[in-house]
Amino acid sequence: MARMKFYCDAERCIECNACVTACKNEHEIPWGVNRRRVVTIKDGEQGERSLSVACMHCSDAPCATVCPVDCFYTTGDGIVLHDKDICIGCGYCFYACPFGAPQFPEEAAFASRGKMDKCTFCAGGPEEDHSSDEYKKYGRNRLSEGKLPLCAEMCATKALLSGDADVVSDIYRKRVINRGSSAFNWGGNAKITG
Amino acid sequence: MIENLIDGPLWYFSLAVFCIGVLWQLVTIIFASRKQDLSLARSSSTSGALKTVFSRFVPHKEMTSKIGIQLVAGYLFHLGLFALLFFAAPHVIFLEQNLLGFGWAPLPHWAFIIAAQAAFLGLIILWLRRMLHPVSRLISTLDDHIVAILTFVVMLTGCFALLESSTGLRLLHRFSVELWLIYFPFSALMHTFTFIPSRAFTGAWFGRRGIDA
Amino acid sequence: MNIQTLLLLVGLLLPQLSLADGPPKQNNFPDGVSSQSLGADLWREVRQRDLQSSGVSQVKGVDSGILINAHGDQWARFRTSKLTTYGSIALAAMFGLVFLFYVIRGKIGIEGGFSGNMVQRFTDYQRIAHWTLAIVFLFLAITGLILLLGRPLLIPLFGKGVFSILASASKEGHNLFGPLFLVSLLMMLFSYVSRNIYEKGDLTWLLRLGGSIGDGHVSTGYFNMGEKIWYWIVILIGLVVALSGLILVSPNFGQGRVIMELSHITHTIGALALIVFSVAHIYLGWIGSEGAMEGMKTGYVDASWADAHHDRWGKECRDQGLVISAEEYARLQGKNPAVEVATEQGK
Ligand code: HEM
Ligand code: SF4
Ligand code: SF4
Repeated sequence: MARMKFYCDAERCIECNACVTACKNEHEIPWGVNRRRVVTIKDGEQGERSLSVACMHCSDAPCATVCPVDCFYTTGDGIVLHDKDICIGCGYCFYACPFGAPQFPEEAAFASRGKMDKCTFCAGGPEEDHSSDEYKKYGRNRLSEGKLPLCAEMCATKALLSGDADVVSDIYRKRVINRGSSAFNWGGNAKITG
Repeated sequence: MIENLIDGPLWYFSLAVFCIGVLWQLVTIIFASRKQDLSLARSSSTSGALKTVFSRFVPHKEMTSKIGIQLVAGYLFHLGLFALLFFAAPHVIFLEQNLLGFGWAPLPHWAFIIAAQAAFLGLIILWLRRMLHPVSRLISTLDDHIVAILTFVVMLTGCFALLESSTGLRLLHRFSVELWLIYFPFSALMHTFTFIPSRAFTGAWFGRRGIDA
Repeated sequence: MNIQTLLLLVGLLLPQLSLADGPPKQNNFPDGVSSQSLGADLWREVRQRDLQSSGVSQVKGVDSGILINAHGDQWARFRTSKLTTYGSIALAAMFGLVFLFYVIRGKIGIEGGFSGNMVQRFTDYQRIAHWTLAIVFLFLAITGLILLLGRPLLIPLFGKGVFSILASASKEGHNLFGPLFLVSLLMMLFSYVSRNIYEKGDLTWLLRLGGSIGDGHVSTGYFNMGEKIWYWIVILIGLVVALSGLILVSPNFGQGRVIMELSHITHTIGALALIVFSVAHIYLGWIGSEGAMEGMKTGYVDASWADAHHDRWGKECRDQGLVISAEEYARLQGKNPAVEVATEQGK
């Protein structure tokens, strides 16, 4: 069985935010919610790098550990999904998640946040595949159409990779090998981030 | 099934009982036979009525220290309830869609919650004072307790339904509102409509007789 | 292994090695290749060990510049394993203790029985403050415990769908009533504080555990040291719980996750302490000590109860002539036959 993974190549990401926009558009995500974001480290300094991040679909997910109503589940492909009908919008998953993936439509006083929303790896939710309910709550279910997440598909530099973990790591391994050897062949100011 | 009942027939039934009951009560009060006041008018009954309607919003000086907590809690409760009843966003939307066909600017969510908190605190304190003060307890009737508890239940179920996502919680709130509406005309809740006329009536009588109170 | 791969390995490992000896430094290779250990640098920034948000993102939101918050997982596991387990153990232990106390000591009555003569202990306002706090506290305790323990205890009973409804109601109720706890706590603070200052003799009471050690009753004033300690526990822990709760309840001020996690831990430990102690308090006030509940209900206690539990205060009241007769008390409570008739006619 496949294990779905994202990986973002810091050497290739150019902070164009196309993944963020593609995701918002594909799933008709409400205002204020961004399932994916690009974070730039050392902005404007030497060694500036950007990474696109969303839910990483953890094997032992902290969000699922902490959820007081136990609304998370992991699919056979290793994708972490949640049931919005059960979520009570307590915000605990956001505190627990290392990557800040869970998002809320509002952050109002008296802890009124609305239901949690996060990246589904374009795999919808517990509703019937391609139903309008599923689309309204979780967005498009591309995976069941045999398509990979749109963010990675759209990525112009192919920095963002998605798919079966073995395939993703194969691609990345090849890149690293190429870069690693070229660092010594060029003799210039090569900077490797590995 | 139960959803259709609560959202449909029971809602119209309770609304009908409420409207007809309140009207009937007011009509019977207005047309109740009254002894004619044969005394010579010493001053205007209209100004007396007006004066009393407003003067009763403030307690007598001598009383203030004795009923300080009721005064504060009373205002907290009534103002809070008024604000949340007519200016909470879900209520405004409900009234617009189900009854009136027009809406108005609702309170922001935080203000709605603060109004609800004021109402809850006020109601709890008022009911406790009713129970704890020997005189208030003695003069309280069963109706007084039912009214307080029923109103509390309506507010509490509303609070439970704040996430606006579970049909069950919404129905619970709506059902308690319907019970409240049905009970309304036959209970002390009628003071919502009668407190001004009854103040005016006493005030007019006082005014005519030249009583300054 | 050919030479190229070996070189590659060295090339990959060199930057990593510099991690071990502190901050990244510039390595000047003999052939002029300048290789900064950017890999280590980048991933250190990403890991955000120093909790400094150094990243920026076009997506604006709480902590959106932080890529990894490693504390989240620690917090989550602390909450789901330690807090729930130790919390329920503490609660169960306290119930056990109270039950044991009931079996051993039974109801603590008054030697020689009640006199029927009464003395006022609490004003109306004090009782209103106490019961307001009690109602709000119990409501918050129940709704809070549903959120904390519902997943291990209630989901197996009701299933996720039903529990979600219960939890959603509890969460909304808890968040709305939370701030009221602070208000009623302040009512409590101001109306009782003058009676809860340390007095001479309180230490003796504490050292002899309220008369459990040594012979007989320890002389006490209006409140004994145990009651005073409970009062200050309620006020101080209550304030901590209330303030951390207010932080949790206002995500709109943009405080980061770490603050939320710390507030949550503080809040829940404080709340559990209050809940556990309140079990003992409720037992003593309601069942354990005969005649005590009367005081919080009517404001009056029996003079013999005052002598038995708060002898110095009882004596004070008698000296000042504050003790009223059973008839007078009945009249005040409206139990006088004459009053009964009057109210009957009034209805
Ligand atoms: C000023 C008073 C209080 C405020 C503002 C407050 C607020 C909060 C908030 C916002 C949460 C997070 C729950 C959520 O969003 O779903 C919470 C959790 C909790 N509170 Fe309070 N609270 C207050 C007082 C209390 C008191 C007095 C108790 C206990 C008697 C209590 C017990 C708990 C418990 C047990 C939790 C659950 C923690 C968990 O699920 O991990 N709270 N409170
Ligand atoms: S939401 Fe966060 S913790 Fe949960 S699976 Fe995704 S990345 Fe992991
Ligand atoms: S916000 Fe929803 S999904 Fe997240 S922990 Fe709370 S109930 Fe679970």
